[in-house]
Amino acid sequence: MVEIGKKNYRNQENFNYLLFYLILMTKPQEYTAIFENKEVYNEKFEHYHFELKKPHTIEFQAGQFASFVVSEKRLRRSYSICSDPDIKHGIELLLDMTPNGVGINYMKSLKFGDEVKFLAPLGNFIITDEQPYQALVLVGTGSGIAPLRSMVLDQLQNKQTTRPITLYWGLRHASQLIWQNEFMELSKTFPNFSFHPTMSQPEAQWPLCRGRVTDCLAIHDLPANAGYYLCGSRAMIEDSTKVLQTRGVDPKNIYHEQFA
Amino acid sequence: MTATASKAKTKTFRYLVKIDQAKCISSASCVSIAPDTFQLNNQQKSEVRAQEADSDDLKLQAAQACPAGAITIIDRETKQVVWPESDN
Repeated sequence: MVEIGKKNYRNQENFNYLLFYLILMTKPQEYTAIFENKEVYNEKFEHYHFELKKPHTIEFQAGQFASFVVSEKRLRRSYSICSDPDIKHGIELLLDMTPNGVGINYMKSLKFGDEVKFLAPLGNFIITDEQPYQALVLVGTGSGIAPLRSMVLDQLQNKQTTRPITLYWGLRHASQLIWQNEFMELSKTFPNFSFHPTMSQPEAQWPLCRGRVTDCLAIHDLPANAGYYLCGSRAMIEDSTKVLQTRGVDPKNIYHEQFA
Repeated sequence: MTATASKAKTKTFRYLVKIDQAKCISSASCVSIAPDTFQLNNQQKSEVRAQEADSDDLKLQAAQACPAGAITIIDRETKQVVWPESDN
């Protein structure tokens, strides 16, 4: 999953208000859905589509996740929703198929038409109106792109924000890169959006950024009055936070979602 | 006595929740599922708000949905760990 982490809010009162609002607006429910489709992008990533059966619609906010029942013993695994929250008849997940865990093995076992059960929406890694930033910087590694894609689609297409949005995505190899055309098309349609993939172990011909996302954050211009949304491993979040703080970013403006 | 008061008096709370804050990654899923049992502290870590508030089913669901496996459910009577199951 793209798992969920600590956020910093301006103060506890604002945070509690936000959480209370979130709970009231989006009380999680148990959903039954049908495994409808999947796209196999490469050896690492697959994109799963689930059509809701009962209830048949869902209200979630970009950045939230779903907790799937993945065993007969009610063991659960959580996955960030990567789809546009304006799509209410189903949810989509980006799965990293490389770990050999119970959750991914369950997903691999699904056949089209199979019924799944999940609890959603969950999590508070979201962009709210309470965060009046003039720019957004989204930073993800690996499948940490999933909630950030949902945020990008929501901000640009649904909320039609004109504030600058910069998306950094760290992977090891360019062969793992997906959604590049989609993000490039978005950057053409919405001039306020820019996409920066970076490879830590790039092929020789890779023409763009090389290194980790922290290297990008260390050298690229950072917009003023921006909110930073990080999604990845604990180490990635800690390293990115250190780099951002070194560059003068107030930790109150850094939010993150941590892989479990 | 009102029907509500009567119902509250007869409600039993068999499950005890425990949180390992070192494991907590602040997803707040527990707060969403059982808001009368869990809350986030100043460090955005989950903590117990009240043991005898939400139903046992909700407490168990919150524990099962915790992405970090930070919540343990204990049966008060038997002292057995209900969640996580031993072979998880």
